[in-house]
Amino acid sequence: MQAGSDKKIMIVDDDPYVRVVVKEIFEPEGFEVVSAESGQQCLEILEGSGFRGVILMDIMMPGMDGWETIREIIRRGYAKGSVIAMLTAVEDPGELEDWRNITEYVIDYITKPFESDEILNNVSDLMDLIPEN
Amino acid sequence: MKDAGRTIVIIGASTGGPRILDRIFRDFPYMDLVIIIVQHMPDHINLSLKDKLAGYTGMNVRIAEDGEIIENGSIYLAPSGYYLTLENNRIIRLSSDVKSGYVAPSADAALQSLVRREGDSIAGVVLTGMGFDGAAGISHLKSIGGLTISQNMETSIIHSMPMAAFETGCVDYVLSPEKIRDMIIEMARHHK
Repeated sequence: MQAGSDKKIMIVDDDPYVRVVVKEIFEPEGFEVVSAESGQQCLEILEGSGFRGVILMDIMMPGMDGWETIREIIRRGYAKGSVIAMLTAVEDPGELEDWRNITEYVIDYITKPFESDEILNNVSDLMDLIPEN
Repeated sequence: MKDAGRTIVIIGASTGGPRILDRIFRDFPYMDLVIIIVQHMPDHINLSLKDKLAGYTGMNVRIAEDGEIIENGSIYLAPSGYYLTLENNRIIRLSSDVKSGYVAPSADAALQSLVRREGDSIAGVVLTGMGFDGAAGISHLKSIGGLTISQNMETSIIHSMPMAAFETGCVDYVLSPEKIRDMIIEMARHHK
């Protein structure tokens, strides 16, 4: 990934509409937005990129779902410069078992549909948690 | 020298916690109390969360170290990968002997290490998060006369942790972040 804005986010969602909306909300605010349409593509983009930013991760995706993708991000050591937030229509994953062992990596949880101001504020707060180089 | 007693508040949080900590601690004044934050997080954000909190509270914010004696006016952030406990309500202990499948730091481990000690006012707060960390700790705290609080559902991004605490039947107050902040401040003011 080329050096560019110091405000980077990655949206991982199989829904093209969500990817476009996230781009349209964040790019005018000076964010560099990277999109992935699957967990697999997310891992391919992260590999060797040294990505530092906020990763917005959908839960329900065909193939590798959001939880599995996060597990793989951790296992491969790609999470060191990032803060991960779920971006999902699942209102509360409390009854799911999938969060076990990765709860500390899921720093925030944003539900769809979202208001642009709300997601901008939440992600801006998360940017403060990105570790310095 | 006789120990005057301390006000000690342990706060457990997981997913969504940093946003709620913002609401509790933004412009929080310097006060004679000790706050310990047990936020589930990967170790690479320990320092940035500490710096973020330090940027907007009047309290001294630091990452807890093994063997430290707690000081009034301080917020201690439990480091990732360790169980933080208090020895005799005064000395911070960090243990890396973490049970497989359990998150570290653990609000349960921290809360369950508290003891009834003359002159001390102790409280436990369980905020938003996945899982049930903090529930067993809240039960213990109640059994030794501590004040127990869980975040309300309306403001919890994830319900399961505060709900698990509430379902123990040992929670004294269910509050919004702003009310939690007010109660902590009141607690410190009344501890003279």
